[in-house]
Amino acid sequence: MFSEPDASPGHFNIVPRRLALNTMATTFADQLRSLTDEALGALVQLRPDLVVPVPADISALAVRAQSRGSVARCLDGLDEFTLRILDAARLTRSADTALTSVDAILELAGGTSADDVRVAIDRLRVRFLLHGPPEAMAVVGAVDEVTSPYPAGLGRPADFLDPRAAALCADKAKLRRTVLAAPAGARAVLDRLAAGPPIGALTRDTVAEPVRWLVEQHILVPISEAGRAPNADGELVELPREVGMLLRREAGPLGELRPFPPLPEGSARDPKAVDSAGAGQTMEAVRSAEALLEALATEAAPVLRAGGLGVRELRRLARAAGLDEVAAALLIEITYTAGLLGETDATGTSRSVTVSRAGGAADEIFLPTGAFDLWRALSIAQRWHTLARAWLSMSRQPSLVGARDERDRPINALAPEAERAGAPQARREALLVLADLEAGTAPAVDEVLELLAWQAPRRARGREGAHRDALSGAALLGVTALGALTSYARLLLEDPDDDENDPLGVRATASAAPHDAVRILDALLPAPVEHVLLQADLSVVVPGPPEPELAGELDVIAEPESAGGASVFRVTPASVRRALDVGYTAADLHSLFRRRSRTPVPQTLTYMIDDAARRHGGLRAGSAGSYLRSDDEALVAEVLADKRLAPLGLRQIAPTVLVSPLPVARLLTQLRDGGFAPVAEDAGGAAVLSRPKVRRAPTRTTLAGRPAEQAGPPVLAGPRLAGVVEQLRRGDIATRAARRAPVTVRAANGQSVTGLTSVQRHGEAMAVLQQAVRDKARVWVGYVDSHGATLSRLVRPVSLSAGYLRAEDERTETLHTFALHRITAAVTDEE
Amino acid sequence: MSDGPLIVQSDKTLLLEVDHPDAKACRMAIAPFAELERSPEHVHTYRLTPLGLWNARAAGHDAESVVDSLIKFSRYPVPNALLVDVAETMDRYGRLQLVNDPANGLVLRGLDKIVLVEVAKSKKLAGMLGARLDDETIVVHPSERGRLKQALLKLGWPAEDLAGYVDGEAHEISLAENGWTLRSYQQEAVDGFWAGGSGVVVLPCGAGKTLVGAAAMATAKATTLILVTNTVAGRQWKRELIARTSLTEEEIGEYSGERKEIRPVTIATYQVLTSRRGGAFTHLDLFGARDWGLVVYDEVHLLPAPIFRFTADLQARRRLGLTATLVREDGREGDVFSLIGPKRYDAPWKDIEAQGWIAPAECVEVRVTLTEAERMTYAVTDAEERYKAAATARTKLPVVKALVDKHPDEQVLVIGGFLDQLHTLGEYLDAPIVEGSTTNKERERLFDAFRAGSLKTLVLSKVGNFSIDLPEAAVAIQVSGTFGSRQEEAQRLGRVLRPKADGRQAHFYTVVSRDTIDTEYAAHRQRFLAEQGYAYTIVDADDVLGPPLPQID
Repeated sequence: MFSEPDASPGHFNIVPRRLALNTMATTFADQLRSLTDEALGALVQLRPDLVVPVPADISALAVRAQSRGSVARCLDGLDEFTLRILDAARLTRSADTALTSVDAILELAGGTSADDVRVAIDRLRVRFLLHGPPEAMAVVGAVDEVTSPYPAGLGRPADFLDPRAAALCADKAKLRRTVLAAPAGARAVLDRLAAGPPIGALTRDTVAEPVRWLVEQHILVPISEAGRAPNADGELVELPREVGMLLRREAGPLGELRPFPPLPEGSARDPKAVDSAGAGQTMEAVRSAEALLEALATEAAPVLRAGGLGVRELRRLARAAGLDEVAAALLIEITYTAGLLGETDATGTSRSVTVSRAGGAADEIFLPTGAFDLWRALSIAQRWHTLARAWLSMSRQPSLVGARDERDRPINALAPEAERAGAPQARREALLVLADLEAGTAPAVDEVLELLAWQAPRRARGREGAHRDALSGAALLGVTALGALTSYARLLLEDPDDDENDPLGVRATASAAPHDAVRILDALLPAPVEHVLLQADLSVVVPGPPEPELAGELDVIAEPESAGGASVFRVTPASVRRALDVGYTAADLHSLFRRRSRTPVPQTLTYMIDDAARRHGGLRAGSAGSYLRSDDEALVAEVLADKRLAPLGLRQIAPTVLVSPLPVARLLTQLRDGGFAPVAEDAGGAAVLSRPKVRRAPTRTTLAGRPAEQAGPPVLAGPRLAGVVEQLRRGDIATRAARRAPVTVRAANGQSVTGLTSVQRHGEAMAVLQQAVRDKARVWVGYVDSHGATLSRLVRPVSLSAGYLRAEDERTETLHTFALHRITAAVTDEE
Repeated sequence: MSDGPLIVQSDKTLLLEVDHPDAKACRMAIAPFAELERSPEHVHTYRLTPLGLWNARAAGHDAESVVDSLIKFSRYPVPNALLVDVAETMDRYGRLQLVNDPANGLVLRGLDKIVLVEVAKSKKLAGMLGARLDDETIVVHPSERGRLKQALLKLGWPAEDLAGYVDGEAHEISLAENGWTLRSYQQEAVDGFWAGGSGVVVLPCGAGKTLVGAAAMATAKATTLILVTNTVAGRQWKRELIARTSLTEEEIGEYSGERKEIRPVTIATYQVLTSRRGGAFTHLDLFGARDWGLVVYDEVHLLPAPIFRFTADLQARRRLGLTATLVREDGREGDVFSLIGPKRYDAPWKDIEAQGWIAPAECVEVRVTLTEAERMTYAVTDAEERYKAAATARTKLPVVKALVDKHPDEQVLVIGGFLDQLHTLGEYLDAPIVEGSTTNKERERLFDAFRAGSLKTLVLSKVGNFSIDLPEAAVAIQVSGTFGSRQEEAQRLGRVLRPKADGRQAHFYTVVSRDTIDTEYAAHRQRFLAEQGYAYTIVDADDVLGPPLPQID
């Protein structure tokens, strides 16, 4: 196979050769400068990151607008159609001027309505991804760097790849004939490559034969992946652009174009049924969350050393709350975000809830916070509202819990690994899709994902997991029900602003609307009840959500059996005893049941309470320091009556037993002094005979012989001393070298320059370097070397990728590689 | 918000408020798919189980209709997750079918190939499946039909059994409805059973389960094998069949320890079927002795484990289980469901009582305070012996006597679990005893005397737990039992539930020793009946003994 002569190392991009690029940048800045205030305002509105922070002048704004970061962010917000039109603009650039025109794009877009295409072009122009007059538009350079090297999934032109392929493509009729003559296997390969991406690897023997045929016919061109070691799997082949466009005859050269979003069809549900099922689910979610935290309060769970809640603990909590682990993990994450759950020292001092989850110190435990008690006092709708808002703003992806991370270790609930900064936005995107549909429409999950992929393909890629997570979470919380958005959740999402206005997801905070959500939900939920139904099998049925006071009473006097819309409790002898233990009397219990019950109190219950009350306290327990017993009741009475023994605080608990709060040794001594003859007993009742021991202080280590510590810092010698000297010298050289660099670089390197002390922003340095790569301009680069010294160099950047800047130093004619994170400043050389 | 009678709980129980005007309609709507678990006086509890939902699917109800009735009658919003779960569970039924293939016999057919692949891989089905015919069909050996269904149920992919039943050897049987007719609930029970093909009918003691069996036989019109608990019960079946059907004495055979007759209708005892000689079951041939068209299991809650195994081989025959309490103390209700069949009919006891088909009963627990000496004895007894010490306390004797004396005109049964106690009681009350060692002949004599009224009081051992028909008994006094067995309690109450000629009330007394384990067991025993709506009253022994205090010598 042959190597590719024209492919420049490092990237595949075929950026047409440009005119003087420096003037290009000026043009861009000049175009911005010539905009009206409104137009400039519109640009800032569409790309708010351009003014964070506010650039010093229009030139700086221009640099930023062309920087990779900002362009990528802008592209992320664009829909599939607009991106395809941008691809079309890239494809239609003239080889000489690197410019394109509206007409060229329209021609390429072919069958699609011209108006739709124009609208898309306008969208690109107001964002300054395309700029210049309609008949000579330029694509911002960074677009090529941050998007696929194969616009619209088409390969590079044949004449760029291989002269023989170019010859074939030049002869249209022959090309068509050759393609039509392709055997079935080869045709399948062609169709796959034509759909994009146009690159395939020669791997398996099964496809090798058709591919060989295609290569021999020069329909496919072998390429080596430049800049990388030869692929162990084999060679790569590329489908030239002309062939790709020929194969796409039917769909058009850009492939299938969808100017309008693929609206989910979905089945229609009765919005009332949706609300009802959702309301039921909200009760369920609130109850489950409460049960989880309740279980955690009963037995706290330790914080893992790596942060998070252990698998076994999660399983325990899930079982206690009657949930599966997925639901339990979601609710635990939500309650944590809502501040209902927090870490505390096992010893008792609580830590602030807002501290990151990472790295639990030893002996920390998860416990419900004080906010939990306040939350419990709220109505169900308000409690749900708290959870739902926490969920919307939660930068966590609970579906990751239980999955494995890249090191194949399981991800725990509340662990840092489940943190996903994009989660709130993904959630909002997914729900907004539902919100845009008519009430009661229940689209399939895949339809929602498809629409999201259309709305912002670049953002949706890799976010399917987050979107699915959002939809399943929504169902569990009752935000959606029967697959459709509920009316109250719609209010929760409602916001007058345009969605695209908020790329940073700042808007996740609530407005005044949620109050309506609570109000509507409240109307859907059952009203609390304050009575119960008592039955002969000693079950207590609360036919609805119990009032807090009733719930508190039942918690003590009965065992819960089943919960949900209503709750079922059972009175057992143990539960009655518990009630008696906390201070209820039998009469209290009788009157409580009579007052609360709508049905007659069963005789069995009355009998059981009386029976339990009769037996309650039949045994008495207490603590004492020592006891005194004798079979001789008269002797016991005599001891008790002896006034000299009053300090012992003796108390008679049975005719033959006295107890004292004092230790047994004091008791013995005093009794002997009083003329009695007591004998001590051990725990088994055997007599203990002892003789007095001589007292000694505890043994301790000797104080003598510890050498006095030397004062002052250690004296340096040998290699360490040489190292320090060398460091000093190197610093000196660096300082001298840097003195010639521009002030910004020197300032960034920490040398004081009057009036300029701040370090240049990293992003700004990157933007300068990116522009310099495009312009092939020389820049001063300030950086920190591997010894920690600061240096600056005048270099010509070659490429900027994978965290490294490669640049050539013209004076020494060497190629330097700088780690980007070490670069402190970059300034274009003005000479 | 609707104001329905039903409350749906998150643990899949359904609470039905019985006093609600829509309660009846609601019960009709949910009965096909939800199982009645408890029916106390105010709120009945039903439960949604996968089995119940699948049975509903088998009976032609789809998930939509189930969800609709839940939503329609529910007072509060039903959680979305529960509705989704119901739909998903029901969707699992029928993905696999057991069908008779004309060429290959019994086959398992997968309407969903992936499910078939999944279950075929399962280790639990190892050895049950034969050759794979194509993507969606696997041969099944006919003898594995029952076990396969059981295993598939456990895997959560219940097979729809379309292989049908063999008709068996035809035999003309019809009901002889001279002067009586089948009660409505009995007819419903038979219809429910016949529509389902196989299954269990649950009716309270005394509600005429034998007639349900007879009616089922009359519908099948085929040779029938009836399995009963003991010989006496077998003879009662025979008497009843001769009286209520066209069958004659010659057509009914008895297969017991005493006689080995095989006739078109054969009544066999569990005991003889499970007896072994040299480690082998010697009487199993009975199942293959004739081409039975119907197998009836009486008192299915007592079905011994070996019979389960034989039953697995009988899946092609219609099977009817009869019981009053589908509570098995060994927890094998699931096996009854999968081998004999699901519950086809169930009626709350109190409903049948309200219709007058069983006598209303008053349940009273009498608490006896032990004497100081007895308390001391109890306190120092080993844990295993404690129940006996408490249950057989002598203090109970005068109380039992007082209770017997309280009902001078009634037929009284005294039932206990400890033989020495019963003998003491027999002497004290001057009443004969029927125990395990009593010969069948002697038993028949005593029961006849009791039925005739010449014998007023009878002391029964555990034999009283089984179906013996003593219609005149109106008072039962139990003094001890098999620990906390709920099913025993129900059976004992059943002894007095036969409707009385003048519609008078039955009385069921339990004498327990206060503050002992006896009380705890009593509470556990009562659970089933309390859940059926029987309200127990607890009284002190002193109230029973009353003013004319009997003297203890």
